[in-house]
Amino acid sequence: MTKLIEIKALEKSFGKTIALKNVSFEVNSGEIVGFIGPNGAGKSTTIRILLGLIRADAGTATIFGKDVWKESVDIHKRVAYVPGDVNLWPNLTGGQVIDLFLSMHGIKVDKQRKENLMKRFEFDPTKKCRAYSKGNRQKVALIAAFSADADLYIFDEPTSGLDPLQERVFQDCTREVLAKGASVLLSSHILSEVEQLCDKVAIIRQGEIVESGSLSDLRHLTRTQITFQTQEEIKGIEEQPYVHDLIREKEAIVFQLDADHLNEFLTFIQPYTVLKFESAPPKLEDLFMRHYETVKGGD
Amino acid sequence: MKSQAQTGHIFRFTLKKEWLKLLLWLTGCAFYVIMGVVAFVEVYGDPLERQSMAVAMQNPAMEALFGRAIGIDNYTIGAMYSHTMTILGFVLFAVMSILLVVRNTRSEEEDGILEMIQALPTGRLAHTTSAILLLLLTNGLLAIISTVLLIVLGDGSMGTEGAILTGIVYGMSGIVFGSVTLVTAQLSSNARGAMMMAFGVLGASYMLRIVGDSGIELLSWLSPLGLLYGSEPFVNNYWFPVWISIGLSLLLITIALWLKHQRDMGAGLLPDRAGKRHATALLKTPMGFVLKLVKTPLVVWAIAMLLLGVSYGSVIGDVEGLLEGNEVIEQIIAADPDLSMVDQFMAMILGVLAMAATIPSIQVLLRLRGEEKKNRLEKIIAGSHSRLVIFGSFIVVSVVVVVLFQLLQSFAFGGSAVFMDYDVLLREIIVAAMAYIPAILVMIGVASVLIGWLPKLTSLIWLYVGFAFVVLYFGGLFDMPDFINGLSPFYHVPEMPIEEWSWTVTTVLSLLSLVLMAVGYAGFRRRDID
Ligand SMILES: Nc1ncnc2c1ncn2[C@@H]1O[C@H](COP(=O)(O)OP(=O)(O)OP(=O)(O)O)[C@@H](O)[C@H]1O
Ligand SMILES: [Mg+2]
Repeated sequence: MTKLIEIKALEKSFGKTIALKNVSFEVNSGEIVGFIGPNGAGKSTTIRILLGLIRADAGTATIFGKDVWKESVDIHKRVAYVPGDVNLWPNLTGGQVIDLFLSMHGIKVDKQRKENLMKRFEFDPTKKCRAYSKGNRQKVALIAAFSADADLYIFDEPTSGLDPLQERVFQDCTREVLAKGASVLLSSHILSEVEQLCDKVAIIRQGEIVESGSLSDLRHLTRTQITFQTQEEIKGIEEQPYVHDLIREKEAIVFQLDADHLNEFLTFIQPYTVLKFESAPPKLEDLFMRHYETVKGGD
Repeated sequence: MKSQAQTGHIFRFTLKKEWLKLLLWLTGCAFYVIMGVVAFVEVYGDPLERQSMAVAMQNPAMEALFGRAIGIDNYTIGAMYSHTMTILGFVLFAVMSILLVVRNTRSEEEDGILEMIQALPTGRLAHTTSAILLLLLTNGLLAIISTVLLIVLGDGSMGTEGAILTGIVYGMSGIVFGSVTLVTAQLSSNARGAMMMAFGVLGASYMLRIVGDSGIELLSWLSPLGLLYGSEPFVNNYWFPVWISIGLSLLLITIALWLKHQRDMGAGLLPDRAGKRHATALLKTPMGFVLKLVKTPLVVWAIAMLLLGVSYGSVIGDVEGLLEGNEVIEQIIAADPDLSMVDQFMAMILGVLAMAATIPSIQVLLRLRGEEKKNRLEKIIAGSHSRLVIFGSFIVVSVVVVVLFQLLQSFAFGGSAVFMDYDVLLREIIVAAMAYIPAILVMIGVASVLIGWLPKLTSLIWLYVGFAFVVLYFGGLFDMPDFINGLSPFYHVPEMPIEEWSWTVTTVLSLLSLVLMAVGYAGFRRRDID
């Protein structure tokens, strides 16, 4: 697997605000990586450095092996970007702007594909941009991005203005470009979206990557909620080191299990007659609610 | 040249979105030139009349207004045109270019449009370079149009070389101030700041020139306006100001491009101050909110007005000395011995100062529309404040601004005139300035009608302000018919040191302004908020 994006020890301050302290991660070709973290963690800053819009104070960042600041023009020929807040020229129509973006990409506009996307996103390209709602402005950027045959898609909260139905369209389109072999970096606060789409995640907090890896790996680090009921009264379960937050309900017992100790737990209840057993897989949300919460605590 | 990738593409696109605006501006500029040439050819055909005008022009007060008197020995139509039309034209073309550059650089960056463009395979300088090309194209067209008009409409005294030089210095004034704006657009992180800095440079150049033309000549040459004026088309046709201004523009453009290449998207080189954590009690009242919105530009304006008043005031003292004992001049102007020439100049300058005070007060009111366009008004209206309170707050602040600025200016102007030993009572000058307040209020009234009923056309108010300015500035020179002059509220105001205070005018104009404001509110109350 070739490394498409490679970020090493990136640092960036704005005046006294330290936006990035130490950011390193990679996106390999064909991968989709979710980039998540609380407000102000440094996601947009990292992405803007990747796009050569702002310059890192220290560290290196390359895309396709090229320096993101010096060779931005070459890189951008193969990259499509959608920001969270899309602003456009008020006097032009959405259709005009899409064509302009595509022509600047140096791509012959594939009319069919563009029309198709507009239909799927239920987008009216004849209105002036000043008349579009936030979601519709975002669609302009999304349609332009998906119409372009890019090798890398960079999305910064691309669905923050979309309704749930349109968000689904976005997910479908993303899967299609992935199927064609493109890679995606997706920053989003909608965790279910990241969970459904991404192979890997990188979690950033206060300018530092605090966790990164494949979702299934990360799940091992977390806890599963177990609900079970046995015929006999169960003893000594509280003492087990892998059991947390145990609650005895009327009949059932609910607790959090360290996910990598599942087997030990099963051995433990083996002697009993199990009447009911439910396990809820860890949600991405649980996984990094921890990070969100520590930030709030630390502030 | 990677950093210029796709400049052409962006430029073509810029043309597509700008052509209508530029067409309107260029038409306005052409109209300015036509008006000047035709009026002078028509009104001042008689050489004797021109010569007496030449004498009248040759004093510090007039020079402060129009520029150093040139070609006085042989005051041809060409010389007259050069002398009276040049400085004001420069200011007009500079304003056009400042707005053009801000609109096409920092505004789009602030709005986040540039971020989308620069994420495409376009060079880091492409967007700015396209704005530079547009600046050059617009001012190039301006130069050509002016030259052609001057050749076609001018009389024998307006030779081809002079016409070409005039066109070029017109274009250069746009290019120089456009280049200044290219730099300020890198310094400030927002469009408003970039624009204010550029207008600040323009204002400083204007005042530098006033002071320079009234004595310390070196200062005039340091001002781009004074420098370009020094080309004296149709009189001496000096070309060196053109070369210097080209060099200056190149330098500024290079600096701007270099800064743009270095800096982060969205950042300015001047630091933004950190905001306050909590709204102060004042900010929570509607009036306080309006004040907060307009505070910085008003402070800048206040300083500018103070300096303008002082500059004009300090030259007026010299006029008397010049006139005293000069029998020729006395003969020409003192047909009516009660009418002092100096008093006439004073009246005229008070009019100009009143026009200047009109601009910030209208800006305050237009901020209402500006907030609306940025969708911020919704939030205030959706809050607990009625539309009357909001509209009223903007009107009140704008009226207060008028009164304060008129006081400030007349005090600065009169005070420095008295300080320069000119025999005038400070009180008289202040009263004269007060006489203009109702006329300015009428302007505010017209602006509120536009905001209430024709919100999309609110900017038309500047056309009306421009018209009033033309009447005031050129009304006397061009012999315009009374009914046209009468359309400007300023025309009715008694020119105080030479005319009497009139309660009728004061009352009628004040009532008219109240009616206009009420009509404006009636429209604002019922219309949709954008
Ligand atoms: N232009 C700027 N000037 C000053 N500070 C900035 C600037 N841009 C970002 N910051 C600061 O850098 C930090 C990181 O901001 P960034 O926009 O990268 O966060 P984010 O992770 O994208 O947050 P969000 O989830 O809210 O979009 C924040 O503290 C922010 O205030
Ligand atoms: Mg962000």
